[in-house]
Amino acid sequence: MKLNILIGGKAGQGINAVSSIVSAVLSKQGYFTFNYRDYPSLIRGGHNFNVLSVSDEKIGSVESRLDGIIAMDENTIKKHKNELKKNGFMIESEKFENLGRNLNIALAGALIKILGIDKQPLIDEVNRFGEEAIKAAEKGFSSEKEKFKLKKLNKNIVIMTGSQGVAQGAVNSGIDIYFGYPMTPATPVLHELASLQEKNKFIVFLSENEIAAVNSAIGASFSGAKSMTGTSGGGFDLMTEALSLQGQTEIPLVVYLASRPGPSTGVPTYSMQDDLDVALRAGHGEFPRIVIAPGDAIECIEKTNESFYLSQKFNALSMILSDKHLAEGEFASDRKPNKTLKVEIKRKVPGEAIVKTNSYEHDEKGNTTEEAEIIKQKAEKRLKKYEEIKKECRRFQMIKIYGNKNAKNLIIGWGSTKTTILDAIDSIDSGIKTGKGNYKFLQVLYLKPLSDEIRKEIEKTEKAKGKVILIENNLTGQLGRLIREKTGISIKNRILKYDGRPFFVDELKEEIQKIK
Amino acid sequence: MTSTKERLRTDFEITWCPGCYNFMILESVKRTLAKLIDEKFTKQEDIAIVAGIGCHAKIFDYLNVSGFYGLHGRVIPIATGIKLGNPNLKVIGFSGDGDAYSEGMEHFIHAGRFNTNMTLVVHDNQAFALTTGQPTPTTQEGYKSKIEPQGEHNTPINPIKLALASGITFIARANSNDIENTARILEQAIKHNGFSFVEIIQPCLQFNTDMIEIGKLTYKTEDNKDDMKKALSLADEWDYNNKKGKIPVGIFYQTQKPSLDDKWNLLSELKKKKVGWKNLKR
Repeated sequence: MKLNILIGGKAGQGINAVSSIVSAVLSKQGYFTFNYRDYPSLIRGGHNFNVLSVSDEKIGSVESRLDGIIAMDENTIKKHKNELKKNGFMIESEKFENLGRNLNIALAGALIKILGIDKQPLIDEVNRFGEEAIKAAEKGFSSEKEKFKLKKLNKNIVIMTGSQGVAQGAVNSGIDIYFGYPMTPATPVLHELASLQEKNKFIVFLSENEIAAVNSAIGASFSGAKSMTGTSGGGFDLMTEALSLQGQTEIPLVVYLASRPGPSTGVPTYSMQDDLDVALRAGHGEFPRIVIAPGDAIECIEKTNESFYLSQKFNALSMILSDKHLAEGEFASDRKPNKTLKVEIKRKVPGEAIVKTNSYEHDEKGNTTEEAEIIKQKAEKRLKKYEEIKKECRRFQMIKIYGNKNAKNLIIGWGSTKTTILDAIDSIDSGIKTGKGNYKFLQVLYLKPLSDEIRKEIEKTEKAKGKVILIENNLTGQLGRLIREKTGISIKNRILKYDGRPFFVDELKEEIQKIK
Repeated sequence: MTSTKERLRTDFEITWCPGCYNFMILESVKRTLAKLIDEKFTKQEDIAIVAGIGCHAKIFDYLNVSGFYGLHGRVIPIATGIKLGNPNLKVIGFSGDGDAYSEGMEHFIHAGRFNTNMTLVVHDNQAFALTTGQPTPTTQEGYKSKIEPQGEHNTPINPIKLALASGITFIARANSNDIENTARILEQAIKHNGFSFVEIIQPCLQFNTDMIEIGKLTYKTEDNKDDMKKALSLADEWDYNNKKGKIPVGIFYQTQKPSLDDKWNLLSELKKKKVGWKNLKR
């Protein structure tokens, strides 16, 4: 069973409230949901919509064809009625009058009724909003007839965005200070951490700009704090000088980079995976780094923790790569994250001894040097460090393979496309669920270092005359290029989408099947 | 027994030009730090310095204290980070006029707002010296350089006025030539709770020799507290251009506002427990 419901309206009308109430009720009933948010860069008005997908099995994608529409304005009907399936339902907000801010609660109530869920879980969910809200929920609930029958299932499901996952991972790692500056789609991590700071005893500091944020993060790390910073495209460009500073000073630094579509200001509130290249290479000079791309909210928790761990262990730059689809997508999961790795600062810090660090090439004591022999030694030390990082990373899941391990065909992707690719394969031949299909999916989680297993998997597939398919949410196939650089193998079959929208599962299924 | 001042020295070869006024600034800094250590105001290992990039920054290699030789223009954010990372440290940033007012102006202008409990020392020789003499935001009009053979045609900014307008809570000017008075001002600056800013007038013997004349025009003022009118009038006495008249030196303005570590409970807690984040038990 799988349903896709669109909730549309103007910014500020509360469409997120509808989807969050409904998904909260559904998760407590044991159903998986995935919520996709589509909104332009404005605060009031315009056209926003969420697509909430619901299933009794794991789901992490939305379809372009809809089972239902909740329209909070005329525009939503006009724009989306052609996407509605033949027997699809439509709830129009017009029929609820004088509810004011509780309109979205009434709409959530109406949808709960259509899904065939009892009234009580709904009331339990909206109870905290007060009596008027309960009345609105009841009004909505009684306004519709049951269309589906979603019986209660016995599953323990947690709903979380990628941003919440990253924040949780940072908290689990014992973050002391997060330095930020607002920039979509990295801002939700800043907000999420700010909401957690008091309880977990750490500081979220709003710097005057990204240059200050990253330099302060390195400064704080130098004096013994576990620090982190985060941003998106343009802000990341500003941070570049300090990435190089990290390379020279070897002060641990964790950077969260949430990409946005296109060069420059680009398309702030939409999604694209177009900053892999810059994550891998930003910053002058040759120095090691770690780049990790989680693919769902739980992986965000785990990989952020690994990022902190590796950064402290090797005094290295560690980056977490995300995009709007991962950052703001609401993932339902019944999987618990891996055990948290303990993150410890082992270096001596000022106050404990005289400690010097230096943006100039420097000797072991931190003193500036121009000596040829030391310059050479330091360069080789950085290279050697990368070898050690590579070795340590093998402890972790640098890649994951899903579905039939012996499947004929191999799909390769990274980051936020993961859950849609899994759902697309299942919609072709249930290959992920059964482990018996024609496609397996290789998810690349570590982009730097890159796992040697990728080459092996590609060669194995090619030898057996299977298809190797690269799927990326960008124009030029940046992972494909990275794989070619490291292995010499060029992946010919590429499914690339670069209109700022994530893949829809039905669209991706078709694209995969088109490849002969 | 070696003196505290001697222990602040390093064996690093000093590469400032012979006779550079930076030697005098180094001497003032060493005297100040030695006094503060001897008075038990702080410990040698609790001092952390930050340097930018430029001639001033070489001081990093010549002081035996913890420190961060940072990026051009980034003294303030790095120092702010260090202070947030461990509020028990005494953090002193060394910067130049190019470093603080050109590349780093975006941070300088916010310093009063955050009021981080740290000191910023600007070695102002009114020139980019280490890059061979280009004009900075404080360079006087008419100054000839490789980049402006016909002379500087822009008007210099007045950093003291700027500091007053942006809410910095301790503002002073010193003359590098007067080691004793510079040390006295630095001591007050480091003891100030909040962001303290000390501009040191420093002739450059290679590139800005006009400054030698300017140095001779200085006179000591009485230290001012929080009289903003008086501070503004003192700041207005010299526009960084005029080679005539008098140039006041001393503490122009000092006021009390909550510093960054007063504003964050967690930082106050770290100070109370005398630990940094690294050794905080949670």
